[in-house]
Amino acid sequence: MTVTAEDELSLTFAALADPTRRAILTRLSAGEATVNQLAEPFALTQQAISKHVKVLEGARLISRSRAAQARPCRIEPAGFEVVADWIDGHRQLWQERYDRLDRHLAELAAGPAEASGGHTEPGGAAQ
Amino acid sequence: MTQPGEFTYRRVHRASPELLFDCMTQPEHLTRFWGPDGTTTPLDGITVDLRPGGVFETVMVNVADGSQYAMHAVYLAVERPSRLAWAEPDAEGGMVTTITFADLGDGRTEVVTHQANVPAAYATPEGQAGFQTSLRRFDEYVSGLPLN
Repeated sequence: MTVTAEDELSLTFAALADPTRRAILTRLSAGEATVNQLAEPFALTQQAISKHVKVLEGARLISRSRAAQARPCRIEPAGFEVVADWIDGHRQLWQERYDRLDRHLAELAAGPAEASGGHTEPGGAAQ
Repeated sequence: MTQPGEFTYRRVHRASPELLFDCMTQPEHLTRFWGPDGTTTPLDGITVDLRPGGVFETVMVNVADGSQYAMHAVYLAVERPSRLAWAEPDAEGGMVTTITFADLGDGRTEVVTHQANVPAAYATPEGQAGFQTSLRRFDEYVSGLPLN
């Protein structure tokens, strides 16, 4: 994973870490909404909602239309791919790791004679 | 419910929790399986100081081009044979990994791996004084996380 991808990931996760922002995303998954409309279900000022919207916008999880004066917000599906890619990458790493662990366990169960160099003294197995 | 920035991976292995815990924490075992496919994890690059606050480091070497990827982690929880957790403050903005080992009673063990991205602000405490406090906070954060 590149440094740029990690920066983007941090930004995305930081944006997603807040429950109000996740609630905003849930609302937007049902369709576009203006900041006024987003503020309605929350006991928050429009100003506070605007701050959350800016963070989500910065993480490219949502975008705001420039066409209308109220500038409605909408979900940006591409922003969520960063999260999906992260999860896929880690799942694959652990899957391969545990596959190898299973093979290691099988060698241990088969006994030292079957294990290819597995039971050397500490320091003897690596150069 | 799994939140964004977390994932849970479950596996059942034919081994005792004790053996699996040892595999995850002893360099002689780790060197045999730790790296993903296409890498090796040389024994001399593995450091395990098995206690909360102790370091857990590995160097994974790409077989094809020899490039290296170092992992620097600090143990948060060391509870043989049921639970192991570590934090990687410099990985992807801060990462916490928790592994639980549950004896299924028939010679098999369910291993549940949970990883969560934790913002760097929590993962890089300023100064040694705040370090232990942060680790405790980390641990509380992790233990409060739902497992699926």
